Amino acid sequence: MLWLMLPLAAAQEPAAPEEMLSPEELAEIEAALSADAEAAAATVAATPRTPPPPGSGSGGNMNPDIAFIADLALAAFSADAPLQSGAHDPTVNGVNLQQLEMALEGSVDPYFHFDANIVFTQFGVEIEEVYATTTALPGHLQVRAGQFLTRFGRANPTHPHSWDFVDQALPIGRLFGGEGNRGPGAELSWLAPLPWYVEVTASETMLGGAATGKSWSDAAAVGVDGPADLQTTAAVKQFFPLGQDWSLMWGLSWAGGPNGTGRTNRSEVYGTDLFLKFRPITTSSYQQVSLHSEWFHRRMQVPDELYTDLSGFTQLAWRFSRRWTAAARHEYGGATAASDGEQVVDPFDPVWQGSRHRYAANATFWPTEFSRLRLQGAVDLPDWEEAPAYAAFLAFEFNVGAHGAHAF
Amino acid sequence: MHTLRALFALLLATVLLVGLPADASGLKVTATTSDLAAIAAAVGGDHAEVTALSLHTQDPHWVDARPNLALTLSRADLLVLAGLDLEVGWLPNLLTGARNADIQPGATGYFDASAFVHLLQVPSGQLDRSQGDVHPGGNPHYTYDPRSALLIAPALADRMSQLDPDNADAYAANAAAFTGELTDAIERWRGQLAHLQGAPVIQFHRSWTYLEDWVGFELVGEIEPKPGVPPTPAHVARTVGLARSKGVKLVLKEFYFPDTTAALVAEKAGASLLTLPGGADFNGGQTYIERMDATVGLLAGEGM
Repeated sequence: MLWLMLPLAAAQEPAAPEEMLSPEELAEIEAALSADAEAAAATVAATPRTPPPPGSGSGGNMNPDIAFIADLALAAFSADAPLQSGAHDPTVNGVNLQQLEMALEGSVDPYFHFDANIVFTQFGVEIEEVYATTTALPGHLQVRAGQFLTRFGRANPTHPHSWDFVDQALPIGRLFGGEGNRGPGAELSWLAPLPWYVEVTASETMLGGAATGKSWSDAAAVGVDGPADLQTTAAVKQFFPLGQDWSLMWGLSWAGGPNGTGRTNRSEVYGTDLFLKFRPITTSSYQQVSLHSEWFHRRMQVPDELYTDLSGFTQLAWRFSRRWTAAARHEYGGATAASDGEQVVDPFDPVWQGSRHRYAANATFWPTEFSRLRLQGAVDLPDWEEAPAYAAFLAFEFNVGAHGAHAF
Repeated sequence: MHTLRALFALLLATVLLVGLPADASGLKVTATTSDLAAIAAAVGGDHAEVTALSLHTQDPHWVDARPNLALTLSRADLLVLAGLDLEVGWLPNLLTGARNADIQPGATGYFDASAFVHLLQVPSGQLDRSQGDVHPGGNPHYTYDPRSALLIAPALADRMSQLDPDNADAYAANAAAFTGELTDAIERWRGQLAHLQGAPVIQFHRSWTYLEDWVGFELVGEIEPKPGVPPTPAHVARTVGLARSKGVKLVLKEFYFPDTTAALVAEKAGASLLTLPGGADFNGGQTYIERMDATVGLLAGEGM
């Protein structure tokens, strides 16, 4: 019955130019195109259907848009060996050059978009992300191929310049590693044709070790013999506009793969993320309030045992004027437990010997949207340490180059 | 496993039942600003279903890339944008996330209106952000000058005709009717605004350049020290001094900029503060001509 409705729906659409041709004429066109393609397979360059308008893309030249973002922090820790988990977190007393990120993006051709994030630190250069995204697949499908941060939850796929805090959220470092969960691979996503926003994502990525896939740390050394040796990630994200001023985003994520502790041992992480934002746009105001909460349940098969733990964080940010934001965050890492409930040391991060709470608060001043100063204080309460650990940061971020688009 | 299959079947059935009818009416046009949406609605008439991605009460530089906007873009046949980097902070991600090849840059369904108007304040020479958040391609607030709409409407009719040739005559006729009515209104508005010729005016943000060019008043300063940079006490003091020395009687700002500083400048300078709409109240049913009529009415009420 539904299929019978399809031609009716199509009939109400305005006729596309190609629909004015007969099937025979369309077949002729296809034959001619494939003949030309074969004749000039090596040299044919695809061109847009109409020339790009002036001002689009990167200022009328063929270079990608490039931006540099520098993150610097003056840090003071009460602990001799601070338990920071992010690879670009400040880690020593004094001035820390966290990173210099180079972000590049542009159109490859009419079918692909190019994105890359190259990070320079004092220790070298690192390709954090480089991927192509399709722009022309039918059926609201999209493929990303390259190396990318997996779209597990809301925090993992983001870079420090979009964070509300100086340092990485603890669960990300604990479960995925200091760089966040990423790897070379491919991702397929689909925007469901529903009245509200539902995006379904699935990806297969290589496991690269503790920095990018900590819960699967030992798998990288074992190598890949087949698809089962890759990390699989799946996510569903839904968005609900609650009137003009309120927004709600809710995601469910799952990631699984071999963890290298045994021939068939696997680790799995289940996550849910909630993002609620208030930003009045029907009145004159610079106010923005956002609540972001994300929780992770992990199951790890190790020889003759199944370990589980729970981690999460909740943060509230309030931009109370054009130039000022205040934020607070609570992070939690539950003790890892064996199947009989007995507490054990985290098998992939022996630093975690129990449960841990960390509380942080900060104030951010934005001279313009291209620079910001952030003062942050934190108290860390791991239950395996005798005393709380305190940290204070004065962070400065500044960027130059193309104006990047902000994700929601 | 049976549960999974049932869930999948339920999802598929929901998609087919709820999703498909949403794709079944005229040319779907989405515009980044409410002014462009209003112009598109005038040209599209009964054959186009027009939506605006931002409200007239919103600063178009600072729109949140809410995912529901990507959903709107995913279903659009035609995207109308202001260009000149006005939407650079939010549109690119939405456009990629929309997964709609028909409206990507270079496609027939990608209509950058800035390509069809006479641009002002196109920077020349060395350009960097020490000058503030400047737009390298020129000032993007061109719909504040109704003569821009006279140029955009016929170009939009051409583009709609390419996408929907069956209704080409209707689009051309709508554009002609719109430009005819607008031309008459412009003549009428000129008379109403004649007293503003040469009048010195202070603006909050550098967005009234096109209105200045059309009406003939003279913008002598801005409350923002540089585009996109919030006012500082020293700069506000300089602006007040400038306003006094130039005999400024009018301070202009859009609804979405804060009132207090602008009101202070106006008060100290002995001028009046006029908050003008940043665009048509498109969702409220206001047309572009009604929006300009309201703007002109407010300006005309200002004695110089």
